Amino acid sequence: MSASTEVRTLLADTAQRLFTAHVTQKTLEAARDGGWSEPLWQELERAQLPLIGVPEAAGGAGGTLSDAAAVLRIAARHAAPVPLAETLLAGALLAGAGLKAPHGALTVAPDGDQQVTAVKAGATWRVTGTLKRVPYARAARHLVLLAAGHVFSLEPAHYRVTPGRNLAGEARDEVTLKHAVARAAAPTTITHEQLFARGALLRAIQIGGALERALQLACDYAGQRVQFGRKIAQFQAIQQELARCGGEVAAAVAAALSAAGVVERLEGETGAAATQQVLLAVAAAKIRAADAAREAVAITHQVHGAIGVTDEYALHYVTLRALSWREEFGNEAWWATQLGRAMQQAGADACWPTLSAA
Amino acid sequence: MFFDNVDFSALELPPAALELRGEVRAFLQHEIVAGSYVPHLGHAEFDLEFTRKVAARGWIGVTWPKQYGGQERSYLERFVITEEMLAAAAPCAAHWFGDRQTGPSLLRHGSEMLKQKYLPAIARGDMAFALGMSEPGSGSDLASVRTRAEKVEGGWHVSGQKVWTSWAHKADAFFVLCRTAPQGEDRHQGLSQLIVDIKTSPGVTVRPIRFMNGEHHFNEVFLDNVFVPDDHVLGEVGQGWKQITSELALERSGPERYMTTLPLLVELIRRLGASDDVRAHEMVGRLTARLWTLRRMSLAIALALDPASGNAGVDLATEAALVKDMGTFYEREITDAARLLVATEPALDAADTFERYLAECIVCAPVSTIRGGTTQVLRTLIARRLLGALK
Repeated sequence: MSASTEVRTLLADTAQRLFTAHVTQKTLEAARDGGWSEPLWQELERAQLPLIGVPEAAGGAGGTLSDAAAVLRIAARHAAPVPLAETLLAGALLAGAGLKAPHGALTVAPDGDQQVTAVKAGATWRVTGTLKRVPYARAARHLVLLAAGHVFSLEPAHYRVTPGRNLAGEARDEVTLKHAVARAAAPTTITHEQLFARGALLRAIQIGGALERALQLACDYAGQRVQFGRKIAQFQAIQQELARCGGEVAAAVAAALSAAGVVERLEGETGAAATQQVLLAVAAAKIRAADAAREAVAITHQVHGAIGVTDEYALHYVTLRALSWREEFGNEAWWATQLGRAMQQAGADACWPTLSAA
Repeated sequence: MFFDNVDFSALELPPAALELRGEVRAFLQHEIVAGSYVPHLGHAEFDLEFTRKVAARGWIGVTWPKQYGGQERSYLERFVITEEMLAAAAPCAAHWFGDRQTGPSLLRHGSEMLKQKYLPAIARGDMAFALGMSEPGSGSDLASVRTRAEKVEGGWHVSGQKVWTSWAHKADAFFVLCRTAPQGEDRHQGLSQLIVDIKTSPGVTVRPIRFMNGEHHFNEVFLDNVFVPDDHVLGEVGQGWKQITSELALERSGPERYMTTLPLLVELIRRLGASDDVRAHEMVGRLTARLWTLRRMSLAIALALDPASGNAGVDLATEAALVKDMGTFYEREITDAARLLVATEPALDAADTFERYLAECIVCAPVSTIRGGTTQVLRTLIARRLLGALK
């Protein structure tokens, strides 16, 4: 085991213990009404889990993107109702522009220039516009966004938040900015495409974790539920479906974690080949995870029968998240179209060399 | 749950493997341009001349010790060679079984004499192997084989019938799974693997079984009191089952389980050209994403099973079953996308490569989810891991 693997194992153990102890049915129920769980976030901060993968020099906790992926995967297994992915994404965006990540929960508006205008007046940047479906905006101490070639960080006092939610009850709020003063601003070379791709990668990792939990619940349930005088797990019809689900979940996790590794290795490389490999990895991860979500959610609910669709049973906390996350930062059709266009433009003879380059 | 100790984030081919890829790719391009073979999809063709050229470059048995004709290279280098052969639809049938199955089995279980006798010959392309597993009454339920070997002075007398034995009509020898002791309480005991010389042993009869397109690759093989000397029993008498199942992980997880229709995807992209049809983009993109993912899983298994990785003893048999299950369905997704995106009536004798590949893929499609473990058997295996030992 290499030193970096050991660090990651330690991190994963810490995350596993923390989420097991602090994410209960009560936490999830309360968070669905409020949009998030502040007490859980406090625990994460105490354990210094937010901002893993953001350099220490930029106010982060250090570590790699794959370290962050390991923590995020476990958080998603527990349906942790906190803006962990969003804080990571904001931290990376700020760090990329040479800004320090402030303390506390952060969020990023996936769209910038399409929805807001940023104008510089004297030394101050002011941002105007409406940002739809910003994850956890109500919880964030800072809103980070990308517009006019700059990264901006804004404080809640300068914008209005209208609550909204996704299928799983996670906060997806509308943010209205009227000449809102940016607390920090810095030019950046990070593009919208790159930000969107990083968001898609994080969502793919989360989908993988959520589906792992759904599969675990379905297997446990099949091993307990008795019908026709037998545990339903003993029926081949159930076994075959769970096996298919297992393949889908394994593929989602494999694609997402592999993609994180590729993105990490090619970070900062700007050549055409590197850009292509990053597109390939991220698109593959989001497409595969979203495809897996469709299949695995259907199977795990089917295995549970009616109990799985009740409010009191835990399955929906992960299945509805997986179904929501597949739409965020581009769904599988959107990414497949981008990837397919790129593959076709590169041409038939580049197809296999591209796929086998790494 | 699956791939528990696999670090996907670190999956990367070493420079030696990338360099080797370039060499293999250049060789294959040269062979195609020179017209030394015509690529066909569905079944790898048996072409001894081609196999000898591959052998001359040292690419058969690359992972084996040098003393047995190998190159002592890594599993990832073998992985790369396999990938390139598949991408070029190369006619590898004469060395495929020896390289992938019989060679590694001989290395693991064979006596020094057997290793000396067969491994260098396989690596030189001088000897082709087939596998005698299935029987008329034993398909998925392999442990039910009825071919029997009776102990005689100095060896065994083997009698029975094997079916679906690919390339037995061209191979020099084959592994015969048979019963060397009557079936007791544990049906997996008492099975052995015997090595039978097809061409010279009296009592061996090979008859063709034609595939539904009329081609001849599989056979039925009759064994009538065929004498096999004691020293041609592979490994331990009675331990054949354990020996076979221990080889399954690599066999099931390799690129041959998801790449056999890749050349059709490449020709599809050529046919689509600069089209800006969003439907085509979406289908090509999805196929690309799924292949990329399968390849990461397959690579992860090859890397973990490489003795050089220090993971000796890691059991990835279930993960391999997952890769085969998903891979074989993936191959059909390519075929289906090709026919949905390009309106054509596929024909096996079409002059156009895309149309011929499409026809070959459609006709051969039912095979991949049957051979090497049916979908249903694989899923039963996968479910067993998921559900644990259910009472």
